Amino acid sequence: MALFPVISNFQHDFVLLLLPVDTENTMDEVAAAAAHHSVGTRVAPQPDKIVRVRRQGAGDFFPRDVRLGETDVRPMETLEFIFCDA
Amino acid sequence: MALLERAEWYDIARSTNWTATYVSDADLFPDVMTGAQGVPAEAWEVYDEPYKTSYPEYVAIQREKDAGAYSVKAALQRSRIFEDADPGWRSILKSHYGAIALGEYAAMSAEARMTRFGRAPGMRNMATFGMMDENRHAQLQLFFPHEYCPKDRQFDWGHKAYHTNEWAAIAARHAFDDLFMARSATEIAVMLTFAFETGFTNMQFLGLAADAAEAGDYTFASLISSIQTDESRHAQIGGPALQVLIANGRKAEAQKLVDIAIARAWRIFCILTGPSMDYNTPREHRKQSFKEFMLEWIAGQFERALIDLGLDLPWYWEKMIAEFDYQHHAYQMGLWFWRPTLWWNPAAGVTPECREWLEEKYPGWNATFGKAWDVIIDNLVQGKVERTLPETLPIVCNMSQIPICAIPGYGWNVKDWPLEYEGRVYHFNSEIDRWVFEQEPERYRGHMTLVDRFLAGHILPPDLGGALAYMSLQPGEMGDDAHGYAWVDAYRELRRAAE
Ligand SMILES: [Fe+2]
Ligand SMILES: [Fe+2]
Repeated sequence: MALFPVISNFQHDFVLLLLPVDTENTMDEVAAAAAHHSVGTRVAPQPDKIVRVRRQGAGDFFPRDVRLGETDVRPMETLEFIFCDA
Repeated sequence: MALLERAEWYDIARSTNWTATYVSDADLFPDVMTGAQGVPAEAWEVYDEPYKTSYPEYVAIQREKDAGAYSVKAALQRSRIFEDADPGWRSILKSHYGAIALGEYAAMSAEARMTRFGRAPGMRNMATFGMMDENRHAQLQLFFPHEYCPKDRQFDWGHKAYHTNEWAAIAARHAFDDLFMARSATEIAVMLTFAFETGFTNMQFLGLAADAAEAGDYTFASLISSIQTDESRHAQIGGPALQVLIANGRKAEAQKLVDIAIARAWRIFCILTGPSMDYNTPREHRKQSFKEFMLEWIAGQFERALIDLGLDLPWYWEKMIAEFDYQHHAYQMGLWFWRPTLWWNPAAGVTPECREWLEEKYPGWNATFGKAWDVIIDNLVQGKVERTLPETLPIVCNMSQIPICAIPGYGWNVKDWPLEYEGRVYHFNSEIDRWVFEQEPERYRGHMTLVDRFLAGHILPPDLGGALAYMSLQPGEMGDDAHGYAWVDAYRELRRAAE
């Protein structure tokens, strides 16, 4: 358990956001936290899609159940949140 | 007593270089203060200021200008222009005075540095007048908003803004400290007078003057036009300084200073003038779009000025021009969404008619920025204002101190431009901002953005309330929608009609 701030770059949103999450959070939980700030605020919901997480510029997404603390993501690294087919 | 014509005595009178005997020349004019880059004093003697004036002439003209600006103000004092003006227009006045008035004092200090440490006598002479110009600008732009303070508390920020840690004030201070305050005389000539003033002050001071006249605010129109006549005079200090640098083999150094200054000036005017022209000015009073203005003045006139001097276009020129299409739209969205953190009430500027205008001036606006505004508007129509208010901080650029943002919706191109330097990761809005940092990292590395301060525990409690207190925004001062959301009614009607 440790506070772990990252930067959210959410698909179709216009701005990078400070996203305070936790090392214990899974990628799905991190995605949900990011979605809270963007989806339904400035990004239209896409109920039939899920949101996956990747490093900025990376091709591959992190596994959905991996915990933030288990990855080599550094605090205040920019993560991209992308709508994907479920 | 017959007076000589100015031309007959001017050159002798202002030839004030002398040979120091009690101290060395290097002590009298240290390179760190002159920024002469080793170009010797004799080489600066050819400096020829294009605009020549004497003190009596200066005083007579300035007195007339002041009389003009003050008499327009006095004549309209009892008119109801202020009360009757669109609230978006009042927001332009507030953002202008808060962002500019004390910046003029910074410019005065910069002119004073050229007055003392300018290597050419002509530069010192012109800068003396420039220094007095900037003092005039600061005082006028503090005096004019002062009368509005009893009517509207946000006008107090005309003076207050620079004394706070409000984020836009941090952005302005960071840029003006870099370009005006913490520079040598020669750097100031190049960065402040040439790049910032020749290039960019027209944006705010001519562009807005035209819109002000259209909006019926003749007091503001005459004030800022009067200021711009001073700017266009003392802005000419930089050109001949650049000629001396280039003639003495310092073109690369000069080019770098110009490139840094244009990059920084562009950010400031993009967030200040862009939303003012394309969103806050009521649609019917807009003379030109911000992009049209930028293309005419920057891509047109200023580009020619650069080439004529023998400089190259900055390496990022095409990238910057590409930003004319979107960056200020992104800044507008940020200003409006984080409106409680402003000392003015931003107009949304997205009524159905406004959006037609935006789509016409910026094809694709509806598919990009419009998509994000659609979600905001839906929330407002449904009465969910809380979904349109900030719950977290935007990431702020380590150079501009402005949120890192770009195109939303179908043209989504938002990107962090990070840089690791001495173990710390910095975040930038673009390759251009990052390049500025890389030119002199020791200069910029220690500064903390508002987000850095938040994470370091300087802002307590660590929430929006704590951030607003940190920014000195009192209740009654923090921004809200300029029109009290009345513009949302049009969308309510549209939705009802559709059902
Ligand atoms: Fe000025
Ligand atoms: Fe000036």
